[in-house]
Amino acid sequence: MIKAILVFNNHGKPRLSRFYQYYPEDMQQQIVRETFHLVSKRDDNVCNFLEGGTLIGGSDFKIIYRHYATLYFVFCVDSSESELGILDLIQVFVETLDKCFENVCELDLIFHVDKVHYILAELVMGGMVLETNMTEIITRIEEQNKLEKSEAGIAAAPARAVSALKEMNIPQKVKDMKLPDLPSIGNLKF
Amino acid sequence: MPTVKGDGMRGLAVFISDIRNCKSKEAEIKRINKELANIRSKFKGDKTLDGYQKKKYVCKLLFIFLLGHDIDFGHMEAVNLLSSNRYTEKQIGYLFISVLIGANNDLMKLVIQAIRNDLAGRNPIHITLALQCVANIGSREMAEGLSVDIPKLLVSGDTIDSVKQSAALTLLRLLRSSPDSIPMGEWMSRIIHLLNDQHMGVVTAAASLIENLVKKNPEEYKGCVSLAVSRLSRIVTSSYTDLQDYTYYFVPAPWLSVKLLRLLQNYPPPEDPAVKTRLSECLETILNKAQEPPKSKKVQHSNAKNAVLFEAINLIIHMDSDPNLLVRACNQLGQFLQHRETNLRYLALESMCLLATSEFSHEAVKKHQETVITALKTERDVSVRQRAVDLLYAMCDRTNAEEIVGEMLEYLESADYSIREEMVLKVAILAEKYAVDYTWYVDVILNLIRIAGDYVSEEVWYRVIQIVINRDDVQGYAAKTVFEALQAPACHENMVKVGGYILGEFGNLIAGDPRSGSAVQFQLLHSKYHLCSPATRGLLLSAYIKFINLFPEIKHIIQDVLRSDNNMRNADVELQQRSIEYLQLSSITTADVLATVLEEMPPFPERESSILAKLKKKKPSSVPEGSEQKETTASKIPAVQMSNNVDIAPPTSINLMSQGESSTDDFVDQGSPQGGSASVDLLGLGSPTQPTAPSVGSGGLLDMFDTLTSHSSAPATNGIDLGGLSGGAEEAFRKFICKNNGVLFENDLLQIGVKSEYREDLGRLWVFYGNKTTFQLNAFLVDVSTPGNLSESLSIQQKPVGGEVEAGAQVKQQFNMACVQEFAEAPVMTIQFLYSGAQQKISLKLPVVLNKYITPAEMDANTFFTRWKALNSPSQECQQIIKATSPIDHEQVKAKASGYCVL
Repeated sequence: MIKAILVFNNHGKPRLSRFYQYYPEDMQQQIVRETFHLVSKRDDNVCNFLEGGTLIGGSDFKIIYRHYATLYFVFCVDSSESELGILDLIQVFVETLDKCFENVCELDLIFHVDKVHYILAELVMGGMVLETNMTEIITRIEEQNKLEKSEAGIAAAPARAVSALKEMNIPQKVKDMKLPDLPSIGNLKF
Repeated sequence: MPTVKGDGMRGLAVFISDIRNCKSKEAEIKRINKELANIRSKFKGDKTLDGYQKKKYVCKLLFIFLLGHDIDFGHMEAVNLLSSNRYTEKQIGYLFISVLIGANNDLMKLVIQAIRNDLAGRNPIHITLALQCVANIGSREMAEGLSVDIPKLLVSGDTIDSVKQSAALTLLRLLRSSPDSIPMGEWMSRIIHLLNDQHMGVVTAAASLIENLVKKNPEEYKGCVSLAVSRLSRIVTSSYTDLQDYTYYFVPAPWLSVKLLRLLQNYPPPEDPAVKTRLSECLETILNKAQEPPKSKKVQHSNAKNAVLFEAINLIIHMDSDPNLLVRACNQLGQFLQHRETNLRYLALESMCLLATSEFSHEAVKKHQETVITALKTERDVSVRQRAVDLLYAMCDRTNAEEIVGEMLEYLESADYSIREEMVLKVAILAEKYAVDYTWYVDVILNLIRIAGDYVSEEVWYRVIQIVINRDDVQGYAAKTVFEALQAPACHENMVKVGGYILGEFGNLIAGDPRSGSAVQFQLLHSKYHLCSPATRGLLLSAYIKFINLFPEIKHIIQDVLRSDNNMRNADVELQQRSIEYLQLSSITTADVLATVLEEMPPFPERESSILAKLKKKKPSSVPEGSEQKETTASKIPAVQMSNNVDIAPPTSINLMSQGESSTDDFVDQGSPQGGSASVDLLGLGSPTQPTAPSVGSGGLLDMFDTLTSHSSAPATNGIDLGGLSGGAEEAFRKFICKNNGVLFENDLLQIGVKSEYREDLGRLWVFYGNKTTFQLNAFLVDVSTPGNLSESLSIQQKPVGGEVEAGAQVKQQFNMACVQEFAEAPVMTIQFLYSGAQQKISLKLPVVLNKYITPAEMDANTFFTRWKALNSPSQECQQIIKATSPIDHEQVKAKASGYCVL
């Protein structure tokens, strides 16, 4: 079973945290920090598995992670999961994000926390692998988007018209904002 | 290609950018507080918030939460969003709830109601959202509230595939968190047929669910073996184009294959020859594919392929029946040991550890010894090196022990700090287990102390002393070796301890050589004295008094040392006391008395190695059960062994000599009057659980019952089982003689309550296990054993319980018992679980006593007296008059008597 899925950047800033076993909020934060500490000190070409930190349950748990440019994707799992299987699952997750966000980068995860959660929910449910077929996952996300668009179309038409005017150049604005350089994580050795 | 970005929420983007531009933590907190105040006022005041706005605010809250700030409002708004008809609002509501609301929130009732509405609706997308929420929270309350709806969704014919998939995993989650709340029913028999489902996603999800069910009740789901094998066979033999979207980088359905292979690891090799052959073919095909040239150069291709391969190898190891497959598996792993992918080397080492325990392949594994040793020395990654240590430990036997131990010792000098302690334990165990020549063993342990003294735990040096004391043939050698080791200008304190103990006992064996004469020995030890901690100094003082006995010629030197202010007026009370007592002892007693008091230590009783116990505690999984025990003689003394395992507290009572350090009860007291029990203490049975007669309650009658029962249970108390009973259990058990309900056991982790009812020869007992901690208890296992021939008299049927016990949750287990004939002992139940990774074990007597099966008979006065008069032989009468310690309370006596089943 997958106990937790964490995404944080090279500085340990959390970008996504999803726990499938109950831990109190402050414990969750500590686990993120501990995991970052364990993972970040490792070289890039060592193996992708290590024993879990003490907070999440010690050596009965494995940390399986991948490092993409600025982000670490970390899955904490128990002994019932196949290590390589989880490693592939991380890959599927990232590839799906990449397709949904078109060249995903750290900023996408920051500004679309909700979307990232929805995509993850199509892959993993209650700590178990739900779906691994990327086409199927993307179809489901597309359905959601359509629904969202249609609902927004009926109800929020007037509001949207106004905000559309206001937000005409939002993508550009986002890029103009004073932000550190964030290379895209999508086109990295898939 | 879908784009999920685009219609961004402006307010959210601005807020996030603000936060990111904050220069300091204070500024960030300020900005967040401002935003929280804003959202709060919007939620409170503005009733006309539209979906878009609510969504935006909830997204902001999620972001704030992610940064590590507590969110204490918005829950109600999120719950309200659940009843919205709009998908987007519902979606964000569910997201908020599953991320932010704990299982014990007050709003859970409302949430469950909303979930139930969505499940009952016809919109599959809404159903999926609701299921996701249940699967992610998975509380007991949810399990109870939705126990009927979810299984129905799973097996119903008109459920669409994606919902089925989600329902399977949701049910799995609920079964994990509260297995007893889900009613077993028709769905159970149909569930294994989901393995034949057309949709691969459904099969994958169902395989996870079935594996969980199988773990609890393998017999009932036996049918899944042949289904899983045929499904696996179809996948393995398919070409990568057949499964289309479920082919991942040219590997057909890798996740499903892994799941099926895992599922099969819950069963022994299939009995049906056809199924067995088919499975062997599958495994061979998988092994063959590993040799084919890769279809793609991408790492994902080899990853997926190897994920399946490793799982197949694990299954081969698990079945442990086909030598041909086992050797092939071993060769395959051997190839991986030298693979350039670190991940594969890691996994190969890990799997080979399992393989080394199989008798068929143990020899084959040994062929790779050189490679593993090279890995230990050259791997750059500590995780891999650690696996190499594990494998060396597993593959070690009598033939290669010397080499492996030597290599490990050599590596220890440069080993990572994080694995040193474990390595020390492993080296110590291997050296003991495979020592042909005990001088080698002594050398190894002393080397350990020399190289990694700080990581040598007490158990290790206790053990070397035990062995030296028990084996005459190494005593002289040990004395000589420690004497030499102590010559080093700086030696570790543990070395001083071992040296002090061994020279104190056996220094005379080397005193013949003038270079290690008595005075030299004493000077050598004493030169270390001032550098040591008080505990070690205490031990050295004891060694000195032993020297007085061994070498009367240096008595005056030692007495001077004992008399010095540094000792006799030491600030440490223990040292002061020892100095004074030893000085007195040496001055006033005759040589004969002294010789008796300070006699050589008697041999220690053989018992399980305390080091092994420590390693087990540290890494429960790394010590294969039973494999060590044939080497130690521990199994001869089960009572002792049990008392080792029972400890819930840290293993202080196992420590052989810990008493020696913390009290005056040192080894020299062995011969003194109060030292008679010293050898018992060393066994860790410090205070034997003597049945005291506690007076519980105030009823006078109760005391009588107490004496009565302590007689009846007397045979049991001497037996093995009492040694294993957990503290306080006996008293609690006895209370149940006069009552049917109550608390049987309680400690910091667990409360165990019991309810029982009896009718004629049948009894039913419910045991309630309450988790008192804030963590989940894992691998919760209850086992009931019947000591002696109790199983002939009492048949016990146990309903399954187990898996996990959630924090603060309580699980119930039912026992049905039928009394066949009279019995004296009670069944013993053993509860095992993992609490934050540590194995816990509790043994308790199940409160089933003979008197519960007494049935009152209604009869009128005449019949009674007829029967009464018929009882006339002398053996049928027994009278005991006791003095009541308190006035008799009729109500209470009545309650006791009815609890005792005589009313």
